[in-house]
Amino acid sequence: MKKLPNGLTVVVSEDHSAPTFGLCVSYGIGFRLEPEGRTGFAHLFEHMMFEGTPNAPKGVLDRVIEGGGGNNNGDTRYDHTEYIETAPISTLDPVLWIEADRMKTLDFSPKNLENQRNVVEEEVRVNVLNRPYGLFFAIDLPGKAFDTYPNAHNFYGDFKDLDAAKIEDVKAFYEQYYAPNNAVLAVVGDVKPDEVFAKTEKYFASVPSRPTPPRPKVDEPPQNAERRSTQTDKLARVPALAIGYRMPARHTPDALPAAVTGELLHNGQASRLYQALVKDKEVAISVDGGVNWPLGSPFEYNGPTLLTSFIVYPPNVTEDQVLAAYDAAIKDLAEKGPSPQDLERIVAKMRSDWYDQLEIPISRASALSHAVLFDNSFDAVYQIPEDLAKVTPAQVRAFAAKYLIATNRTIINRVPASASQAEKPQGGEL
Amino acid sequence: MKIANTCGALILLVGMSFAQKEAPLPPDLPPYGPEKPLQAPAVNTTRLDNGLTVWLVSEPGFPKVAFQVAVRGGLAADSPDRPGISELLAKTIDQGTKTRNAKQIAQELQAAGGDLNAATEKDDTEISTSVLSSRIETGVNLLADILQNASFPDAEVTLAKRNLADSLQQQESEPSFLAARAMAKVLFGDHPYHVAAPTPESIAAATPADLRKIYGQRFRPDQCIMVVVGDFEDARMMELVKSKLGAWKAPNESPLEAPDNASATPEHAVYVVPRPGSVQTTLRLGSFGPLRGAPDYEAAEVANAIYGGTFSSRLTSNIREDKGYTYTPFSFLRPYRRAAVLTTGADVRNEVTGPTLNEIMYEMNRLATTSPSEEELTKTKRYLVGSEAINLQARSAVAQELATLWVDNLPPDYIGTYGQKISAATKDDVDSAARKYFPFAHTVVVAVGEENVVRDAMAPFGMAVHTAP
Repeated sequence: MKKLPNGLTVVVSEDHSAPTFGLCVSYGIGFRLEPEGRTGFAHLFEHMMFEGTPNAPKGVLDRVIEGGGGNNNGDTRYDHTEYIETAPISTLDPVLWIEADRMKTLDFSPKNLENQRNVVEEEVRVNVLNRPYGLFFAIDLPGKAFDTYPNAHNFYGDFKDLDAAKIEDVKAFYEQYYAPNNAVLAVVGDVKPDEVFAKTEKYFASVPSRPTPPRPKVDEPPQNAERRSTQTDKLARVPALAIGYRMPARHTPDALPAAVTGELLHNGQASRLYQALVKDKEVAISVDGGVNWPLGSPFEYNGPTLLTSFIVYPPNVTEDQVLAAYDAAIKDLAEKGPSPQDLERIVAKMRSDWYDQLEIPISRASALSHAVLFDNSFDAVYQIPEDLAKVTPAQVRAFAAKYLIATNRTIINRVPASASQAEKPQGGEL
Repeated sequence: MKIANTCGALILLVGMSFAQKEAPLPPDLPPYGPEKPLQAPAVNTTRLDNGLTVWLVSEPGFPKVAFQVAVRGGLAADSPDRPGISELLAKTIDQGTKTRNAKQIAQELQAAGGDLNAATEKDDTEISTSVLSSRIETGVNLLADILQNASFPDAEVTLAKRNLADSLQQQESEPSFLAARAMAKVLFGDHPYHVAAPTPESIAAATPADLRKIYGQRFRPDQCIMVVVGDFEDARMMELVKSKLGAWKAPNESPLEAPDNASATPEHAVYVVPRPGSVQTTLRLGSFGPLRGAPDYEAAEVANAIYGGTFSSRLTSNIREDKGYTYTPFSFLRPYRRAAVLTTGADVRNEVTGPTLNEIMYEMNRLATTSPSEEELTKTKRYLVGSEAINLQARSAVAQELATLWVDNLPPDYIGTYGQKISAATKDDVDSAARKYFPFAHTVVVAVGEENVVRDAMAPFGMAVHTAP
């Protein structure tokens, strides 16, 4: 790991198993800090990073990366926005050049903004408005569970806010947050670290550092009561429940037991909720979830987050029946804790899943760059398997007893449109 | 001679017009480095005395091992009175054996770091898992038990039927599902490939006895491959596989036959799937392409990638980047054993349904009638060769690809030769493939959406508009 004079941190991990590389540039800006009245802006901005620069007009980026045999993408999350590429090793230099180029300036054209506004609104239609459940467990649930704008707002963006975004907003956002000193570059693959450091010096040294605003507080006032609501869904045929518990801050002693508990409850057919709800009680069709789910791993968040359960259940079962079975499973964990065997199993699974993520160069680059962005160190990425092994049954039990309680949770019941007494979802309706 | 000259002039013209449209590359952009070819995995292939095929790829790395099992026979082998029952088989095959119940299987596998994934395709049924290297014995044990002793307990089948029925009901609301189902019916007609999913009636009627019967027919060592990729020693793995699967016997009956090649030529028409209240039209275009293994398969892959198979393809540049009609345009060539399907898709807001189809039609016919530029050809071939290396970064992906090759009767070294064939495809090869497979007139159009919106949008095209079957 190295830091350039302009503040850009560079991490390299060698892996010669394939003649390819994965690269990730993470910027320390996400949904959480997007301005009020501009919901969805961090993501809309992410799209603008693909619209070209004065040096490399629109189209060059895709042409160069795909023409080099690779592919690229971008992701916006609560606490970071990442730009990722993977390609044959012969394409490393052009890709580094492109990332440096768009760290210097962009083509701030109103036409590009208008075009991407349309693309983003189309994306919202595909993923939210025209899809059953409309991601309510990811958009509406935090909206109800949290009380302050940074954590509660609709991150995909209300159309009125997306429509109101101006090219001046794009410029200001770029100036504020897209500085080398607010970014981490990670390269993983068929490379030698010294060569990569030399190349990054060559391409990125001329990117000037810029002042970035101090990170505001994003803490939440405490939750004192259970929050419940019902929504209708025009497209869903079977009902679903989303349950979210507020989680401890990362790096506090409860955070690792929280991650393990999330997986113990949700990971695969051996999980407690699958066994209890789908198999034993037969009150659910599917159960998904975890800490910081579905927008990231339980180790990658930098502000308030939830342990979320998303449960699809049969139409002939009631919400109360699902909750009764759910609460019984939680109560069992909070009272008895997991057996040592239960815990050993889930830790083996989490370790195995983590290796799968590290195996793919682009995912490892992503994990490394997030770790450095949040903690200024990538040690945690390789430390996670060992840290998980240290979690005890008593810690999991204590965590469940303290956090998985009614007054710390929010529940949304989402029912097919024929049901009454429901409100409009936050994700919006046309 | 004259024809060749004319073609040459045309190519030059098209190349120039394309180059004029694209911005020049920045002068200080560094060039690509030297190409480093993908080393095909070293596959240790064995056939046991009982007919079981075993392909092993041992390579160091993270302490994980990926298993992929495939048996011949999938959705296309389901009997006409139980369409899609293979999907129920895939959901219940890990729900009990003679000595383990579902929970034990799930827990043992979790302790080894794995999940069991079972899925059915048109031609095969696949089971996979990926475990920690220290627990390969658990992996082999469980797979061997499931392959030989699955019991389909009544209670588990009843539960799986109910949940599958609910999922099917849910899928009825998803436009991409409705489109895929309609497309399979329109393209394949009576051919066994016409089934894309089970029907509620089929699932309601299915019994544990049906599942046990299919299991007995398809799960036999001479119709099965086990691929293992990861951090293990060949000799140790082979010993484990032999000890757990060596005594598995094939029944005396001959195995199921694969279906004939699909050769239907459906009417070039629009098939509407009404979806009241839809804010988008889900457009899908389908036609037949070459089988994998056909001489022009790789050239058709190149043609597809130029047309719509990449983000910098013509179709994406046109309808997403230039016009902003859609977030998700795509095209792909999907080979099955007895047919290959060329699919184009875009989900678009209602108002631009007609304009989008017009652009798709233009891009397909443009590809079929004019040659790509040298730059397009070069970058697309590079893209496809590079994609193969990237797609095979994960050991589970290598295992799956190898199993698919076996199902399609292709050798394991296809992984090494695919890139060479792509690189060798000439402009003439790509032109012929484009002319043969890409004309818009060869397609069927499936449109899921508000019916009057779709019918109104389709009127100017002069194609017949039917309600989808």
